[in-house]
Amino acid sequence: MARRGPRSRYQARLILVFWPQITKDTEILRYYYRIQFLVDRYRRFLILGILSLIATDLAGMALPWLIKEGIDAALHGSSTSTSLLKFPALILGAAALQGFFRYCWRINIHGFSRRSEADLRDRVFAHLQKLPLSYFQHTKTGDLMSRLTNDIQAVRELMGFGSLAIVDSLVVMVFSLTLMITIDPWLTLWAMLAMPLITVVVRFFARHIFRWSRATQEQLSVMSTFVQENLAGIRVVQAYAQEDNQVRGFKGISSDYRRKTMWLATLWGIFWPLMQVLSGIGAAIVLWLGGRQVLQGTMTLGEFVAFNGYLAMLTWPLMAVGYVVNQYQRGTSALSRLCEILDTKVAARFQSPEAPSELAPIRGAVEIRNLTFSYGDAPPALRNINLSISAGVVCGVVGETGCGKSTLVSLLLRLFEPPDGSVLIDGVDIKEMPLRKLQDAIGVVSQDIFLFSGTIRENILFGAENGTQQSLEDAARMAQILPAIEEFSAQFETIIGERGVRLSGGQKQRTALARALIKNPPILILDDAFSSVDVETEEEILKRLKKFMAGRTTLLISHRISTVRGADLIVYLRGGEVVEQGTHDQLIDLRGAYYRLYQRQRLVREVETLTHAEARP
Amino acid sequence: MSDEIHRDDEILGKAYDARLMGRIVRYLRPYWKLLALAFAFLLLHTGSQLLGPYITKVAVDRYIANRDIHGLDVIVLLYLGNVFAGFIFLFVKTYATEYTGQRAMHDLRMEIFAHLQKQDMAYFDRNPVGRLMTRTINDVETLNELFSTGVVGLLGDLFIVFGIAGAMLWLDWKLGLICLAAFPVIIYISRFYRRRAREVYRESRLILAKLNADLQESIAGIGTIQAFGQEKKIYGRFQGINHGYRDVLLRSVRYNAMFFPIIEIFSALSIGLLLWYGGGLIVADAIQAGVLVAFIQYIQRMYQPLRDLAEKYNIMQAAMASSERIFTLLDTPATITNPVEPKTPDQSGGEVEFRDVWLSYRPGEPVLKGISFRVRPGEKVALVGATGGGKTSIISALCRFYEIDSGSILVDGVDVRHWNKQALRCHLGLVLQDVFLFSGDIAANLTLGDSRVDDQQMIEAARRAHIAPFIEKLPNGYKEEVQERGSTLSQGQRQLLSFARALAFNPKILILDEATSSVDTKTEMLIQDALQDLLKNRTALIIAHRLSTIKNADRIIVVHKGEIWEEGNHKELLGRGGLYARLYELQYSSEPSARRSANGATIQPS
Repeated sequence: MARRGPRSRYQARLILVFWPQITKDTEILRYYYRIQFLVDRYRRFLILGILSLIATDLAGMALPWLIKEGIDAALHGSSTSTSLLKFPALILGAAALQGFFRYCWRINIHGFSRRSEADLRDRVFAHLQKLPLSYFQHTKTGDLMSRLTNDIQAVRELMGFGSLAIVDSLVVMVFSLTLMITIDPWLTLWAMLAMPLITVVVRFFARHIFRWSRATQEQLSVMSTFVQENLAGIRVVQAYAQEDNQVRGFKGISSDYRRKTMWLATLWGIFWPLMQVLSGIGAAIVLWLGGRQVLQGTMTLGEFVAFNGYLAMLTWPLMAVGYVVNQYQRGTSALSRLCEILDTKVAARFQSPEAPSELAPIRGAVEIRNLTFSYGDAPPALRNINLSISAGVVCGVVGETGCGKSTLVSLLLRLFEPPDGSVLIDGVDIKEMPLRKLQDAIGVVSQDIFLFSGTIRENILFGAENGTQQSLEDAARMAQILPAIEEFSAQFETIIGERGVRLSGGQKQRTALARALIKNPPILILDDAFSSVDVETEEEILKRLKKFMAGRTTLLISHRISTVRGADLIVYLRGGEVVEQGTHDQLIDLRGAYYRLYQRQRLVREVETLTHAEARP
Repeated sequence: MSDEIHRDDEILGKAYDARLMGRIVRYLRPYWKLLALAFAFLLLHTGSQLLGPYITKVAVDRYIANRDIHGLDVIVLLYLGNVFAGFIFLFVKTYATEYTGQRAMHDLRMEIFAHLQKQDMAYFDRNPVGRLMTRTINDVETLNELFSTGVVGLLGDLFIVFGIAGAMLWLDWKLGLICLAAFPVIIYISRFYRRRAREVYRESRLILAKLNADLQESIAGIGTIQAFGQEKKIYGRFQGINHGYRDVLLRSVRYNAMFFPIIEIFSALSIGLLLWYGGGLIVADAIQAGVLVAFIQYIQRMYQPLRDLAEKYNIMQAAMASSERIFTLLDTPATITNPVEPKTPDQSGGEVEFRDVWLSYRPGEPVLKGISFRVRPGEKVALVGATGGGKTSIISALCRFYEIDSGSILVDGVDVRHWNKQALRCHLGLVLQDVFLFSGDIAANLTLGDSRVDDQQMIEAARRAHIAPFIEKLPNGYKEEVQERGSTLSQGQRQLLSFARALAFNPKILILDEATSSVDTKTEMLIQDALQDLLKNRTALIIAHRLSTIKNADRIIVVHKGEIWEEGNHKELLGRGGLYARLYELQYSSEPSARRSANGATIQPS
């Protein structure tokens, strides 16, 4: 016992020391397990590729040997014209075999990695589509883009190049060394003296080159951001005559970029020549020692040439080993970032029951019971909301920015998860409802409109693929976008550009409205939808919508009392709570919070006129 | 328009265009000494490359064959020396070319950027930000590759190929010819391959751009996608593009997989021919063995450059296309330039006058139709009217963001076309309340990095704009970084910031474009108060949205369909019952309180 004590302590310490490493390794194993499916799917390519790679290397090994035999045959004069032809023919044969197998491995291994890349991208994208919206609030678009392009590329390189380099290096090293030793063991030893340095140097440079290339990439993105801001804000720049200042700022950034790129170029500039030097040293040693042996007659000239050939063959595998270590690190960290996406749980709503679609059509009664909701650990955005909207009723929700209006909309759409039993449509908890049914029931025009870069038709039909031309035109007419569309030469086929840049702000909003209307939803939500068109237009749109709204449940959400004034029911939200509800007149008569909001707006006007009056005398 | 952009960006033409090359060379001229150095070292490096096999030949034929051990030692040292010299030559060549290229590209980038700064707004209307960014960043990057790998690499390859051919012919011309016999075939195959590789390359670039655009859109629009439950459709679309991309790349895999082995088979064919013919010569004692050894090494080195020929060709081609686009951009002159001899007004009281001003963004579609008005020094004039009526155009014409078709605009008696642009804009402080924030700290956003505004002035301006208490509460005060999409500042705070900016610059004439977005009541009061301060002792032309601003104005100009419809103060215009009264009715009728002023008088809309 006494003797075991220190040892187990020592073991414990060992485990402590290596624990991070061990856990990290199991983490890494888990990452690789996530892409196991690619190997399963394309096993045939991988196996065929590796086999042909080995065959390629073996055929390549034969070449210097055949050259050796050819030279020696010629030198020893024992040759007839047939034996003179024999080796060239064999060389050509070996080269043809090598060529064939090289073709095979390239097709298979690169085919494997390209296919895997596409499949992996598919999988990450599909997963991304189903993540909860909260995920996207915390993650920058640029970051996700880089994961789906750069990181996937790094994983692809690891899979393709990595598997290739390991096999290749192993085969070439084992066979070259064996053949070199067969020719002359001592010369092999001397020639190999400088060679392992190649691996060390490659590893060193690969690390630093990677670091600097990342630094230049980052600087490039700093430069892009600067230009982007400058151009987007060019009006401000010119209005404040800041052109020269901006040019100066840009010069600093551009010079920085130049300096960083120069560092990178210098590293590359040393790296390649250094490789040549290192392999050149081996060749010089062979020339020196091998030359002596040829001179002394202990080695044939053919052996000398072949030896040189094998030595040259070793350069690449030794470099590859250096690369692979880096590729592995880079690939693993890229993979870990991809797994981070894949490990994020999809939004709960995607697990809702699949639709038995013979359910009764939705009438549109919305009920909210004791709804309290908060984003993550933040204080509740909505607190104890109770609200009952009968089918066909127009309900206005007013409140200032940040009162929880938009949260309410997100919960109705189940873009965020409401607590069980808190949001009901036609008396059914929306979480019990098939997702498709819920989505079909609600048409929404939200505050920040997102249009897709395709045609107007595609955008309006976004949520209603099977819409007919008639329904398309009807929806466009109701949303009052039809006249504008008819003025475009390509009409509904007009391509509206990224985020709808070719449309004016009002046209975008009306297109979004048509997109919601064409679904013919029993529930319509207009979430501050027309805040940026002028009041004239908003009134006109709402007036025309009256007919459409009849018989549908409508939620009019606004920070302006004027928008909701005419609603059957008005809810006043403040700080996430329903302060009051009723019709406009009722709420005014109540002389409560709504009335005070109303009064305050009036007060603001009065203050305005006061300052006016005071400024005058 | 977006189609045009795509097409424009993807045109790949010739890999060499003398006219473009001539212009590119102009950017290298300042660094011609370095370039000459690079060229000299390129030649030296080629020489050292050619020397290696030759030294081997000498070692074999002269020393090994003659059993001269001492001579062998010397020649090995020579060989080693050549290896190290090669290292130096290659490094100096690489460094000098890179340095030249980076310098030239920096100069080019600066020229593009400075050129863009001078363009008018009509230019930016025509050219989306993305396209201009591509010119400044990506196209220059592509062009840079021309230097680092393209031209110099191609030259080096050419030197090597011709050098080796020459060396072989010099050593033994018959043997040399035999070894070079396969070369024409290889050149033919390379050309075929190059053409295919080019097609695939172009296609892959196109489809990659599409993939990125789709990805970007799918992430940015995720809220809408999920709200409409269209994940499957979007996924299907992405998958289609993704698989298309994969298929193009697989095609390129196939071409590469064919090409490289073919090159190697030909290299083996040459060696086979060499051994067959050279072996016979050795047997016949016509040549020495060393020649054979050197030839084998030469052949191996000769085929090396052919491998990445296609890649270099692509680089050349892409660089030509990029330079074409860059030069087109640089060749577009700025339409609004500074006058040769700018005038300054005799006295700068702050007067603005429009005389029958016509303006159109597109020919034949005037947005301003004969606008005439005068703003006297110290007067506050509000521009009112429905969206698209021409209010913003009036301001844009005044600031000379656009050139007017006819008429004239006078600021303090001097036509804006005779003003220095920068001086004019400093004189007319333009305040856009939908504030554009630059990344950087708050201070930089207040002063816009202008050294004329010192810290004292900045803080004073922030205080007067009522934004100082807020800024001082931030963890880093004025040094607080402004977040992406400006989440550090609320909408109202941004509006206050825009006032602070204007106060810091202290212009004689204030041009204010009021924000349309509404803010909470408390901030609204702060804005009102700051605005009063800002307007003091200044001439002001305001695109007004706030009722208080309109009422406080000395005069209201109602602009509609590019013309001035009515002029007068609030009361007069309401009394007239024209367009203004109708606009007013529409805007404020839902809030009856607004009609009542504090002294109890009720403004009666007709």
